Amino acid sequence: MTILRLGILFSTSGDYGVLGRDCRDGAMIAIEELRGVSSVSIEPVFGDPGGSSERYIELARKMLLEDGCRHVIGTVTSQARKDVIPVIEKHDALLWYVCPYEGFEANPNVIYTGACPNQHLLPLFEHMLPVYGRRVYLTGANYIWGWEMNRLAREIVTEAGGEVVGERCLPIGDTDVDRIVAEVVARRPDFILSNMLGPSNHAFLRAMRELGRRDPAFRPERCPVVSCDLTECELPEIGFGVADGQLAAASYFDSLDSVANRVLKAQVATQFGSERRVSSYFATSYATVRLCVEAVTRRGTDDPVKVRSALSALETPGPLGLLRIDAATNHASLPFLLGRISGADFVILQSRPATAADPYLIHRRTAAQPRSAQPHLRIVS
Amino acid sequence: MKGTLSFLGKRAIILHRPGDTTDRLVRQCLLLGLCAEARWRPLRAVEDVDIVLVDADEGWDELLPWTSAEKPAPLVALLASEAPGRIAWALDQGADALIAKPVTASAVYPALVMATRRHAEARQLNERIARLEERVRLRPLVHAAVRTLMTVDGCDENEAYGRLRREAMQTRLTLEQTAASILASAQRHAG
Repeated sequence: MTILRLGILFSTSGDYGVLGRDCRDGAMIAIEELRGVSSVSIEPVFGDPGGSSERYIELARKMLLEDGCRHVIGTVTSQARKDVIPVIEKHDALLWYVCPYEGFEANPNVIYTGACPNQHLLPLFEHMLPVYGRRVYLTGANYIWGWEMNRLAREIVTEAGGEVVGERCLPIGDTDVDRIVAEVVARRPDFILSNMLGPSNHAFLRAMRELGRRDPAFRPERCPVVSCDLTECELPEIGFGVADGQLAAASYFDSLDSVANRVLKAQVATQFGSERRVSSYFATSYATVRLCVEAVTRRGTDDPVKVRSALSALETPGPLGLLRIDAATNHASLPFLLGRISGADFVILQSRPATAADPYLIHRRTAAQPRSAQPHLRIVS
Repeated sequence: MKGTLSFLGKRAIILHRPGDTTDRLVRQCLLLGLCAEARWRPLRAVEDVDIVLVDADEGWDELLPWTSAEKPAPLVALLASEAPGRIAWALDQGADALIAKPVTASAVYPALVMATRRHAEARQLNERIARLEERVRLRPLVHAAVRTLMTVDGCDENEAYGRLRREAMQTRLTLEQTAASILASAQRHAG
């Protein structure tokens, strides 16, 4: 029997612990489901770095050196991923990364099953700009995700002839959103992109709710807050109803109607109770563990090079649809869904079939940019 | 230049012995939309190339067909050694950026962007310096034209210089070209 020692490295405590807990739980459900069924014996090794870079590195090193792991599923933030990658590279292991991120990376030792901008931000803005308008306010967490998503959003808005009416980032964990709200009031954007994380984002959504009560011009139907990382798992923390009407892009929502999703949700209800919703973090982590185990099964070994080489021939069905990894980029093809918050759920407003990831956005100018947007104005030399 | 740089359809040549280093570089180049060729023989001046990566550990002068000053494309040095001689060689070739060996995936895109930007900036600076040098070289002409105008129009130096500038602006010529034409016409009158 092939043994797969799988490092499960998510910050389940700390500022964004709720995301890490969904990632961990998704992985655990997959492991439970495969126990006794799969020809691979999965031995999970858990680690909670609590959001600290040093702990991420220490725990990754321990998993690879002491626990005998050659595969690690984990890291939530891009900061953590970039901290862990050198350790993974050094030991010729594979990191399975399941969260949406800002792109501009394609490491041979990482399998990316979270969406990158051509799978979330670009289609989101293609929808938002014509429908709501081209005056946009940008907010984000003060680290690479917030910076890069806002930079890209600014490029898209400017190219479309629109205007970024303001931009402000908050340190992770900071809930002092008054200044952002004051700027929103003064500058009256058509919509707001939030790349904030956890408590900052929750405070901001609560403040926008208050603002909408005072002035209907700032209600979600007129001036929505959109994001690429807000999912079901944060709605209980924000408070049900508080963020109703706000929008989010994701490659999965709990409300998705498919056979594979009903199967997953039934298991989640058994394990965690019927109140528990499945987020894209949860579902992606679940699907990624299944994919990893399938590749290990095919090759009969957990050798990372062999496992990676098995991926491109696999099309594993699951809650995200058919999960396929591109051999060149190591990224998953993923669908795009646009959801509107309603209570504990997202109502799916729009969906697009799975698209291959374009991590360096090399096809953006030709594919996503409308012909009318004066492509000759760019200096290319 | 400030936006996200796209390398789609551009051509990279990697001058390095084939092996793990070139495999990694070619992989990342392809991901960036570049068409990449790795080889270990000199580049020819006629070859069409948008970016060159060169092994600075074992590179020799004839590997590149141009001097640093005439370098037509951005140049990235690939370097494992810390030897001052090899660093100097990379600098002498006009390297715009550096990728340390062994090559990590995340080192490639930043180096290509930096080299492209640095090369473009250096080119603009060189053009600007050439223009300014030309003007310095022709400064005596401007002085001579001002003196001529002072004599012909009976005005002071400031006034003469002002006239020269106005004339240059109206005719959309440089100050030096205008000065030359004033001197030529003064000579004709004198002759």
